[in-house]
Amino acid sequence: MSQAYQVPTVAPSTTRDVAGDGPAINYLCGDCNSKVPLKRGDPIRCKECGHRVLYKERTKRMVQFEAR
Amino acid sequence: MAPNGAKVVASQAELDRRKVVGVNLETVTDVTSTDFPGHWPGEDHSWSIEKFREACSVQFYKRSNLETEFSLIGVDASIANAYRRIMIGEIPSLAIERVYIYNNTSIIQDEVLSARLGLIPLTLPGGVRKLKWCAKPEEGEEVESNDSNTIRLSLKIACTHNRDAAPGERDPLKAYHHAHVYARDIKWIPFGNQVEVFGGEDAITALNPDILIAKMRPGQVMDIEMDAILGVGSDHTKYSPVAPASYRLLPTIDILKPIIGADAEKFSRCFPPGVIELQPISKKEAAKAGSGYEGHEGEKRAVVVNAMKDTVSRECLRHDEFKDKVRLGRIRDHFIFSVESVGQWNSDELFLESVALLRNKAEALQAQVRALPQ
Amino acid sequence: MAPTATANESPAPVDADFSMNDAADFDQPIERDENDPANRGWLQGAHSIKTLPGSSETAASFQFVKEDHTLGNALRYIIMKNPDVEFCGYSIPHPSEELMNIRIQTYEGTALDALEKGLSDLIALCDEVSAKYVGAREAFQSQVAAV
Repeated sequence: MSQAYQVPTVAPSTTRDVAGDGPAINYLCGDCNSKVPLKRGDPIRCKECGHRVLYKERTKRMVQFEAR
Repeated sequence: MAPNGAKVVASQAELDRRKVVGVNLETVTDVTSTDFPGHWPGEDHSWSIEKFREACSVQFYKRSNLETEFSLIGVDASIANAYRRIMIGEIPSLAIERVYIYNNTSIIQDEVLSARLGLIPLTLPGGVRKLKWCAKPEEGEEVESNDSNTIRLSLKIACTHNRDAAPGERDPLKAYHHAHVYARDIKWIPFGNQVEVFGGEDAITALNPDILIAKMRPGQVMDIEMDAILGVGSDHTKYSPVAPASYRLLPTIDILKPIIGADAEKFSRCFPPGVIELQPISKKEAAKAGSGYEGHEGEKRAVVVNAMKDTVSRECLRHDEFKDKVRLGRIRDHFIFSVESVGQWNSDELFLESVALLRNKAEALQAQVRALPQ
Repeated sequence: MAPTATANESPAPVDADFSMNDAADFDQPIERDENDPANRGWLQGAHSIKTLPGSSETAASFQFVKEDHTLGNALRYIIMKNPDVEFCGYSIPHPSEELMNIRIQTYEGTALDALEKGLSDLIALCDEVSAKYVGAREAFQSQVAAV
């Protein structure tokens, strides 16, 4: 009759084991303003002061505005 | 039906009376002009260039590079106002229009900074005619910038620590380099033949080098390029060549009955300095019956010496002792213009340019009127 | 700019031989330098005139594109100075549209004639004001120099 409960198969994980590779991206420490190069998987933490809030740098692209 | 032919000629006294706009304590009277055909029965008020030539005059009071003051007498307010409006809104001048921000880590947001940069007055040696008009591009089209219509400027500045500063220095201007960004930090980047045309590598700068653009702290940078083009004030005030162009009507002060002694002293204090003078009453005046000066020989009386300096504050009308003794007014067709240039035009050229512009406009429109189907 | 005398560089004949005939010679085509920026400011876009519907010979409304109180009021004044004109008024129908309407009603002659005469008179007036201004400026300059 009724089928026995089957444990559903968990979908394969989307997280990959990537620690340590990829390019380093510079962030700015929210406390001491020093540059913090981070790679994927690195702990989000300033290497100088240990502060845990980091900011992205401004875009390097030119932005055009009207002076109005 | 048209009232043809002048049958009635108004006396000069009557014409003078009509020119005065009354200024009372709380009200104004006779504000609108009445010099139109059909307004005064039998009088001829039709347009005539000969009459206008007789009535119109100009008188100069001040003429320097940046400031001109003159009277335009004998024209209607609608004409004087057209010139004023053209000076403010239709005579072109150069201002920053496009801002290319490569980097800006100051606390002033890009769009706010751009608006500030646009408002900085620039010098333009040789004047506006050295440049051509840079047309606004159609939707989806590129701007046609070249050395004949675009001035390229740059602002590249970084705030850094001053290593020579005293330890513990609290003044940011001493503790850091470039803590303040000023208009003088904007540099001209000439291209094409612009150095020859405008004369010199730094011919084009901010008119006032001390305009504060932003304040920065060490680590903050600005890397900005700007394009300045010609525009008109009706599009944006940054293009207005005047600051400001205005006019006022010539005030009149009529003392109807003598104001003598302490009252005269008080009366003169109701006006700005130089408007009212205290003069002694002569023996002859005091002897004249019905003059109001009888028995006041040697006392001071108030005399209007320069009504032009009056601001028409109407202070004298607030005091009961001057009731029915004074009448204030303004001359409807006497415009005291004050034109201050922002620097790209000589101030005395601006009015001429506005007259020329109205004339050219009328001429261009006339060609169109002639082309209209009858 | 251009070596030829453009309308702009000589806003009014200010020479000693200035006379009414010079100013009134409107039929002479005056060369206008389109590249002269002083002209270009207001030449941007179409400045066209059309007659509004419902107009008759002696009572017509004209619509000016890209004009405002500057020309509207000045033109109204000078057209009202014409004794053949019964009524003249101008309006800006909506502040966000760059349109200016002029209404002319005449006793004699057509409204179109009155409009054209108004523009001619305005040109003559401007020439006269220019001449007066230049004269007064020179007089003031020599007076300052003499002191």
